[in-house]
Amino acid sequence: MTVLELRDVHRTHGSGETVVHALRGITLVVHPHELVAVMGPSGSGKSTLLNLAGGLDSPTRGEVVVDGTVLGECNRKALAALRRRRIGYVFQDLNLLPSLTAAENVALPLDLDGVRHSRTQALDALHEVDLDGYGDRFPDEMSGGQQQRVAIARALIGERRLVLADEPTGALDSQTGEAVLRLLRSKVDAGAAGVLVTHDARHAAWADRVIFLRDGIVIDTSGPLDQPEELLHAP
Amino acid sequence: MSVKHGLLALLERGPMYGYQLRAAFEASTGGTWPLNIGQVYTTLSRLERDDLVRPLPENDTGQRPYEITEQGHAELAKWFSSPVSRADRPRDELAIKLALAMTTPGVDVRAVVQTQRTAAVRTLQEYTRLKTKADDLPWLLVLDNMIFQAEAEVRWLDHCEASLARYEAPEPVVTDTEIEVPR
Ligand SMILES: Nc1ncnc2c1ncn2[C@@H]1O[C@H](COP(=O)(O)OP(=O)(O)O)[C@@H](O)[C@H]1O
Ligand SMILES: [Mg+2]
Repeated sequence: MTVLELRDVHRTHGSGETVVHALRGITLVVHPHELVAVMGPSGSGKSTLLNLAGGLDSPTRGEVVVDGTVLGECNRKALAALRRRRIGYVFQDLNLLPSLTAAENVALPLDLDGVRHSRTQALDALHEVDLDGYGDRFPDEMSGGQQQRVAIARALIGERRLVLADEPTGALDSQTGEAVLRLLRSKVDAGAAGVLVTHDARHAAWADRVIFLRDGIVIDTSGPLDQPEELLHAP
Repeated sequence: MSVKHGLLALLERGPMYGYQLRAAFEASTGGTWPLNIGQVYTTLSRLERDDLVRPLPENDTGQRPYEITEQGHAELAKWFSSPVSRADRPRDELAIKLALAMTTPGVDVRAVVQTQRTAAVRTLQEYTRLKTKADDLPWLLVLDNMIFQAEAEVRWLDHCEASLARYEAPEPVVTDTEIEVPR
């Protein structure tokens, strides 16, 4: 069983002289209970990979499969529902809505789906990230670390199968950053699949597998390979 | 660090004999620094020669415990109060290897960098796994030390790679992604 599959995925921007090959043939399989970290220099295609995995962008060539659904074959409505229900996103810019409280921000994906008792679930999720009593605060009444934990709670609420994080620890101090990693790790240990983009090796080390990107291709992997038999056919 | 000061620190807790010292030493380094019993006895005899420890009468099972002396206590206090000197550490083989790789014809320096980076990240993954199982603070901090050192190696490798990229490019082109900084 796999949660995420990228099949020979390419992503090109522009054309002619100004063409940029952001990704040039990425194949990646992520299973439940598995956290994969993506490392690489700036511009190597990390965010592009994550956006494609989350259905926020589409490949120029190749296929992205999430939880058995080929994203390219979905209509917009189905894709939106999949993104809302099955995929959790934690990005560097938190995307918390400033006019909503912490609990309302966390409950938002459930509310959009008409789930009942969303507030109770949101408060439970805030408890998970150690933010008891913060449900009624607005983002600008919280520290950066607390806001990031709200964003994590929102990404982890409900039955998310795939959690995508792009530099989620960016501006956090080392203790708070580690707490964020522990949360991500425990969601994955509970059965989700995770992809974490980071330039921090200490954070990547929480992953079961680390892939190294350069110029849009995977140049190396640390951890179990998708197809271990590849080792036997190494050139 | 020296085994000498390690044993002195353990004896500061109270008298112990060879096997107990070995077990306690390994426990305090989470088993990452295995010590053979021969090393323990040679170190003890040197400590005894320098009057830093003294042997006690054998116990019923024929084991001879050692206790720390006043001088040993003073030596230990001095050790704890002085910084560990960088000059006492061996030169970094990796830095030398990379410098040589750059000046040796036919060596793919970027591949050397990547090989080392993957190894360092793998090591980090192992330490991190150990960390999730650890609950004792001294051991956690020892692990963190190893984690921070491996991380520093990866950062230095990133720095090398970025420098190499600039070095090879005849006309550097500035794009907006090149000035992306961690926020
Ligand atoms: N919308 C876009 N238009 C043109 N080029 C883009 C666009 N998005 C990304 N790129 C280019 O694709 C490459 C990979 O970008 P990105 O995935 O953001 O890298 P990373 O996250 O590793 O820093 C870069 O060269 C970047 O300039
Ligand atoms: Mg990016």
